[in-house]
This record gives sequence, C-alpha cells and structure tokens, in this order.
Amino acid sequence: MEVRLEDVWFSYDGRRYVLRSVNVEFKGRGLHVVMGPNGSGKTTLLKIVSLIYKPTRGSVVVDGRGYWDLGPGERDSIRQHIVYVHDKPIILRGDVWYNVSLGLRLKGSDSYDYLEELVERYGVSELLRSSSRSLSAGQRRLISIIRALALKPRVLVLDEPFNHLDSSRVRMLVEDLTSMAGSSLVVVATHYMVRELMGSATRLYELVDGSLREQG
Amino acid sequence: MLDVVVRSIYISLAATLIAFTLGALISLLMLATPRRLSGLLVGVFDALVGVPTVVVGLVVYMLIHPGGPLGFLKLLYTPTALVVSQSLVALPIVVTLLYRYFEQLWGDVRELVLSLGAPVGKAYLLMLRESPPALIAVYLIAFSRAIGALGAVMVVGGGIEGLTNVMTTAIALEVQVGNYEYALTLGGVLVVLTVGLSLVARAVGGLVWR
Repeated sequence: MEVRLEDVWFSYDGRRYVLRSVNVEFKGRGLHVVMGPNGSGKTTLLKIVSLIYKPTRGSVVVDGRGYWDLGPGERDSIRQHIVYVHDKPIILRGDVWYNVSLGLRLKGSDSYDYLEELVERYGVSELLRSSSRSLSAGQRRLISIIRALALKPRVLVLDEPFNHLDSSRVRMLVEDLTSMAGSSLVVVATHYMVRELMGSATRLYELVDGSLREQG
Repeated sequence: MLDVVVRSIYISLAATLIAFTLGALISLLMLATPRRLSGLLVGVFDALVGVPTVVVGLVVYMLIHPGGPLGFLKLLYTPTALVVSQSLVALPIVVTLLYRYFEQLWGDVRELVLSLGAPVGKAYLLMLRESPPALIAVYLIAFSRAIGALGAVMVVGGGIEGLTNVMTTAIALEVQVGNYEYALTLGGVLVVLTVGLSLVARAVGGLVWR
C-alpha cells in the first residue's frame, strides 16, 4: 500500500499553518521514522497519513487515487487497512479486555489468537479484568498498541509509541515493528530517537516547524 | 405531608423527563450545527441556567393566563402548568451538560473508530454504550434543579392545597402562617432529597470510567 502526500498544508484555525507544503511518499513496506520536537506538527502529519484529518490544501494519494475525492464507501474500504495509535491513548469505559479487543470486534473478527499472544507477551494478561480507569499511563499506551498490532494492518501509524514504556517493552515493540515492517508499512513519530530503532528504520525524516525533510 | 412530597416528586419527574428528552435532542442537533453557531447557542443556554426561576414562571404565566396566547388550554393553576414551568427551569442545564459531554465523547469515539480502520457509523454504537452513566447523572442533576424551583411553581401553580401545592410552595405558605415545624420538616425532606440525588449523580457520574 502506498500513501503519498502532495503539497499538503494544514491549519486548525484557518490562519496559522501547522504543516507547510509537505511532500512525502510512504511506499509498500518498511519502517519510516518521523522525528521532530514537540509542536512541530507530527501528530497532525500522522493523522493526515492515517486518513483521519483532511488536509486544508494539497492531496493525499492512496494507491494512485486521491483519497478525499472518493465516495464514503470507497474511503471506508481503503481506511480499513490503516490503523493509527494515538499519542494520548483513547480508552473507553469497561475492562482492559474490552478495550484491547475493541479493534477486532469493530471489524467483526472472532480470531483472538494473535491478540492473546500479544497480551501474554507484553505482560498485561493479569490486567484483563481490571477497570480501564485504574490503568497507569504506560499501561494505557500498551493497551492501545496491542489493540492496533492485533489488527495486523497493512499500514500501521504510531504517534510517540515509546512514551511511558519501560526499556524491555520498548525493545519488544521495536522488534515487533521491525518484523511487521517486513510485510507492512509502519510509520512512527517520535520526539526522541530510541536507540533500538536506529538500526531498524528504513527511512528517517525530520519535521521542523511544519516542514518535512528526509534525513536518509 | 406525604401527599405534598409525592406530588412534588411525580411532577418533578415528569418535568425532568420532558426537559431531558428535549435537552438531549437540542444538544445532539447542536453537535450537527457549525461550530460557531453551536458555540453561540451553548453560551445562550449557559446564561439561561442562571435565570431566576420566578422569571421562568412569569413567562409561562404570561403565556397561559386566561388572556394569554395559550389561555384557551386552561392550564393556569394546574399540575400541568407546574410540569411546564419546571421543564423550562431544568432545560438549560440539561442542554449545557449534555452538549459538553456529547461533544467530548463524540470527538474521542469518532477518532478511535477511525483510527482502528472501522467505518465512522460504528462510533454511534460506541456512543450509546458509553453514555448511560452520564445520562443518568445529568437526569438527576436536572431533577434536583426542577424540584427546587419555588418561584416558577408559585407563580403558575399558586400552591393550591391538594392540587398544585408542592414542597417548595408548601414551605413558603406554612412559614407565612407560622407553622414552622411543618415547614422545617418539609425543608429537611427537600434537602435530603436534593443532596441525596446530588451524591447519587456524583457516584453515577463516576461510573463513566468503570
């Protein structure tokens, strides 16, 4: 799957642009890392790549077709392959199992084997019946990451996925993302470079003041 | 005394039900309107929350008194007039609380559904699942507001014994004739009821995350 941003501009208030003339192509598979300081526009960029936000100006081309020019049905069928993990995880009322399995249930899937494997591996199996209200910041992030990984999407976009995670979980996540990048497109935004990610990244980008530059 | 308490409760329950239903519809419609307009409307309803209940009663009185535009309905000094007045007293707080709740919830749920690659229609189902504790809490808060609306019910109900006399009007009338013990007892019941409901509303509101 290929997602291409052509001369993308974005403004929340119609006055100040958060993104300015961004041109980038995320193609096929691989691990793409977008770095940039807080407030540089990473979250906005990732939400545009994930087809959640519509750019103020410019085009988002998915597999050769302008996404926002398509009808609702065609948009849904494209978006089902793209999963985004929020910087601030959105966790709903209910227990951890409800939240962690939400993505699969929304898609009508009853195949929970991989999800159960992830839950076990990331060490959250003992939390499954706990209230989502009692989770720490790190646990909330893990839940949102596992929920996304379980969907095995063709495009996975993660916003600051390493915040609040301990070093062993960071290593585990980098391994999973690297392995996933062999068959899918993985885009990660982070404000600091995680050492483990350095060797695995296919491409590095830097976002400064709304402008994106490829680093290598 | 029991008949006054029971009458107060059922009139306030009916009034709250009307205010809640209308308020839910208005707040959902506001969600669908452009942001600038909904911001203006929520500001208007915010301001209406602070309007003295006696003014609400006066407006209803002007509408339903025999010479008023709705005078032919013969509602003045009937329990129905009390229900209408209390509904109008409770409506603004229902709208402001529900609008803010729905706005926040819809933003989160919509983004979550989209981020998981699901059709946005699924967000409505999640909204329904998430809402009950908050809806119950708002209903109880509105009930507390309705049952304590003395001015509105005094103007349109008149506190007629056996017909429109509710706790607030009974307290006011009994104080005037020096029956302090009766007034204090009713006052105690009213305080227990409103404070108790506030505590229940708070506890139910806390369930939003459980």
